[in-house]
Amino acid sequence: MRDLARDAKRLVGRLGSAEDEVRADGGEPVDTQGSGPIAALKRNLANQQFRESMPFWLPAFLLMALFVYGAIIWNFMLSLTDPVGLGSPDYSDLDFDMYVQAFTSDSFVNATVNTFVLLVAFTLVSLVLGLVVAILVDRNIRFENTFRTIYLLPMSLSFVVTAQFWLWMYNFDNGVVNLFLDVLPFVDKVRWFSNPELALPAVIFALIWQFSGYTMVVYLAGLRAIPTEHYEAARVDGASTFKMYWRVIVPQLKGSTISATVVLMVFALKAFDFLYALRGTYLPYKGTDILATLMMREAFSNGHFAYAAAIGIMLFVLALGVVAPYLTYQYRSGQL
Amino acid sequence: MSTETVTPEETDVGVDTERVALYAVLGGLVAFYLLPIETGLMTSLKADPFSSAPFLPPVEQFTTAKYARAFDALGHGFVNSFLLTIPATVLSALMGSMAAYGLTNVDWKGQVGILALFIAGIFIPYQAVLIPVSKFWGSIVPLETWFEPVWLLTPGIEQYHFNVLELIITHVAYGLPICTLLFRTFYLDLNDEMIEAARLDGASIARIYRRLILPLSGPMFAVVLIYQFTQIWNDVLFALVLVGSGDGAMVTVVLAQLGNNLSSVGIGLKMAGAFLTALPTLLVYIFFGEQFAEGIAT
Amino acid sequence: MAELTLDNVSKVFVEDDGNHIVAVDDVSVDIRDGEFLVLVGPSGCGKSTTLRMIAGLETITDGEIRLGGEVMNDKEPKERDIAMVFQSYALYPHMTVRENMAFGLEESTSMGDDEIDERVSSAASMMGIEELLGRKPRELSGGQQQRVALGRAIVRDPAVFLMDEPLSNLDAKLRSKMRTELQRIQEDLGVTTVYVTHDQTEAMTMSDRIAVLDDGRLQQAGTPLECYHEPSNEFVAGFIGDPSMNFFDVEVQGNQLRAADFTYPVSDETLQEIGDRTNLRLGIRPEDVTLSTDGATGEHDFETVVDVVEPMGDENNVYLTFDTGGEPDEDDETFVVTVGGMQQVEAGQPVTAHIPEEAVHLFDESSGEAVKNRSLEQVETLGKHV
Repeated sequence: MRDLARDAKRLVGRLGSAEDEVRADGGEPVDTQGSGPIAALKRNLANQQFRESMPFWLPAFLLMALFVYGAIIWNFMLSLTDPVGLGSPDYSDLDFDMYVQAFTSDSFVNATVNTFVLLVAFTLVSLVLGLVVAILVDRNIRFENTFRTIYLLPMSLSFVVTAQFWLWMYNFDNGVVNLFLDVLPFVDKVRWFSNPELALPAVIFALIWQFSGYTMVVYLAGLRAIPTEHYEAARVDGASTFKMYWRVIVPQLKGSTISATVVLMVFALKAFDFLYALRGTYLPYKGTDILATLMMREAFSNGHFAYAAAIGIMLFVLALGVVAPYLTYQYRSGQL
Repeated sequence: MSTETVTPEETDVGVDTERVALYAVLGGLVAFYLLPIETGLMTSLKADPFSSAPFLPPVEQFTTAKYARAFDALGHGFVNSFLLTIPATVLSALMGSMAAYGLTNVDWKGQVGILALFIAGIFIPYQAVLIPVSKFWGSIVPLETWFEPVWLLTPGIEQYHFNVLELIITHVAYGLPICTLLFRTFYLDLNDEMIEAARLDGASIARIYRRLILPLSGPMFAVVLIYQFTQIWNDVLFALVLVGSGDGAMVTVVLAQLGNNLSSVGIGLKMAGAFLTALPTLLVYIFFGEQFAEGIAT
Repeated sequence: MAELTLDNVSKVFVEDDGNHIVAVDDVSVDIRDGEFLVLVGPSGCGKSTTLRMIAGLETITDGEIRLGGEVMNDKEPKERDIAMVFQSYALYPHMTVRENMAFGLEESTSMGDDEIDERVSSAASMMGIEELLGRKPRELSGGQQQRVALGRAIVRDPAVFLMDEPLSNLDAKLRSKMRTELQRIQEDLGVTTVYVTHDQTEAMTMSDRIAVLDDGRLQQAGTPLECYHEPSNEFVAGFIGDPSMNFFDVEVQGNQLRAADFTYPVSDETLQEIGDRTNLRLGIRPEDVTLSTDGATGEHDFETVVDVVEPMGDENNVYLTFDTGGEPDEDDETFVVTVGGMQQVEAGQPVTAHIPEEAVHLFDESSGEAVKNRSLEQVETLGKHV
């Protein structure tokens, strides 16, 4: 995402004054200046470049806009209707009943709490683990590529595949996790998924296993962007290795942290695939119900489309709450 | 690069112990990241997964029978997944490349706005669009109903192929934002003057794409194709809702249900199925790891 | 046949926040058929924008650009019969040199392959790059890429060449070699050429005429020597020539010009040209001042102290301060004089500077317009006196 910010910055930069002259034809001639999108469109249509560029981006844009923005608007309208069972929804009588119903429902509150726990725990631990691994990989090790490839490997697997692996890892009788606990003194084997207290932490741990490699890649790119002189200067100043990283290097990784956080949270919101694949049903293990699974179950198992649509919209708002500040931050700092 | 560059490590006094500890930790991490996969692999080759510690290799229990059974169960899903993934990957990459070109290398007012809409599309949770999408294909544009005569009369074309077609279009639509962004980062680094030179040489916008941009996009196509292939192959959500189980089921959907009606002995079958399902993406990852890393790091 | 006319051409950019930036302001130039015109000016003066408007890469906000009498404003770049050489060369990296050169002919003409091949070969031999035709740009040195970029323009046989700082990426030695070569090719082909540079040496040595731009406005268009000896204003006087002309703020008092550190008596003729102006800028080129150690004898001789000497080998740049009696300090105005490389001068040494009146330029202090330029009566042609 950092690249994205950089591009957008350049895009805007091209409209401003550059070192020599204002290069790109970003500004429109004054004499044809009008206001409003219609006037802008008219001006653009007069521009042969614009007309010739339309076949390139317009089909893609229309397809994307229909499925993304069209669908969200439709989903929002649907969430304002009332439940109708199998019939078609009545769009003439719109209200927020479904949202009220959600907030007063135990299962919704429970799923919301689980969603936040998952978001926060998964993101935080992935960030820390990824940073530590990145720093280790960055210390001029041999076979760096091999290590990096192995750490990132789980990320290339489908949620369905990793769910099968972890199902076995957490097996009560012969799972690796329990075998490991068995070796430790004073700890008993645990029924991971059938204990509602432990199911969610177990899922979070598996997700961290799968995605901390991603954080490592992002941090590694951030570390590589820091000039060697900074390490050397810290050395010359007499900082220990730990202090050097803590006080000189880590503060410079703010950008990496922010973009990794945003992407991890988006991953976490998509954790439905993993939870679904653990059981192969819309009903996940007790204690692991998140908004994504609740929504899917209400819609495609129970047929409560209006209610599910409302949950979908709230998930969207949640994602917006994560992404919008990020994009605004990028925009404010002149990068968008 | 100067060979004189002194790395912080080389100046360390306690080089040996520190390095040993470093490699020990790195090795421990290798075990952490590989153990679930290795365990799965070993288990898939055992007749009885409970006969020994799960991560130990099979000795007397060695069998490939689980793979044979998993392949029977997943084979059709495999074909469907390829039928979906290849066209959807190629189409989304190509359209993304074209869109990025039209929004980057051709100057017109308002690009930023269009681009912002593309970028925001990367972040939407699919649960927020899933019901409309399923209704869209179910009742507004029901391709399988429209093309009923085609699949009734043409041998080799089945009803579910049109569900797969719907899924292809859906994946292209939701893959476009990230594809466009990836290509855009690449196209921004192209020399503007080169494109201007081509304009002065008399090439139209379309000819510039065909003769300059497309041939130069090779490296980015590798990144985008690999990224999209992995994403689409691995998807469960859309495959489940738009196609579901049955003849058209994707391999991931079949795998999610595989062995669930068996006792825990079916675990070996699950592991074998998981490996078969992961095989295409694993191969892609092993051979094109660099491009994969570049794709996700953007 | 291919004269290029810029008629009151302006370019205004509108920024996102609504700010209007006038990049080119009402520029008019006529470029004769076959003429080599150099657009020169500091960074941001509008010279590249002007060139890009001629090319059709920027729209024209106001005014008209005509090529051979035909208005170009609304024509696409490809319809304009021009070829451009870019600063970065802008070669197509995936094509061989031959394909690079053929590209324009393939896209803009209906020529057959044989004819294109022939044109490419002859342009390549003109540029001496025949043996490079099969290579890709990344296999070429900077100088070779430069030649390919020129060859790609030549092969099109356009009505106008446009060149945007084409030599600025070459090292100094190669640059001066290419300067001569470019000039020769342009003369051989006789193609109208507009050449943009910020380097006044390139402007002086290559052009038939120079157009000096500053802040989007055309300051002067004239032959190199006109711009050098008869600058129309203070900006041109300061921009052309290296080291730059020395300027002093002066006030007219009777028949004297009073500066901070010296008083310069002027003749009646000069006073007439000054008219009723009271505040002027006095300009003198470094090579027009002569130094001696004989002491001040004439009214245009001044006692000075050498501040710094920059030896250039062939000549020395000597920085002087006026000897005003007091201790030298930071605020003392320095001015620069060039003397022959064999003339040794040392810092701290007192010298007499002779500032001849016929070499003095005077500029209006507020408008910067030239009031009086140096007289050219003493210009000598080698071998005979005029």
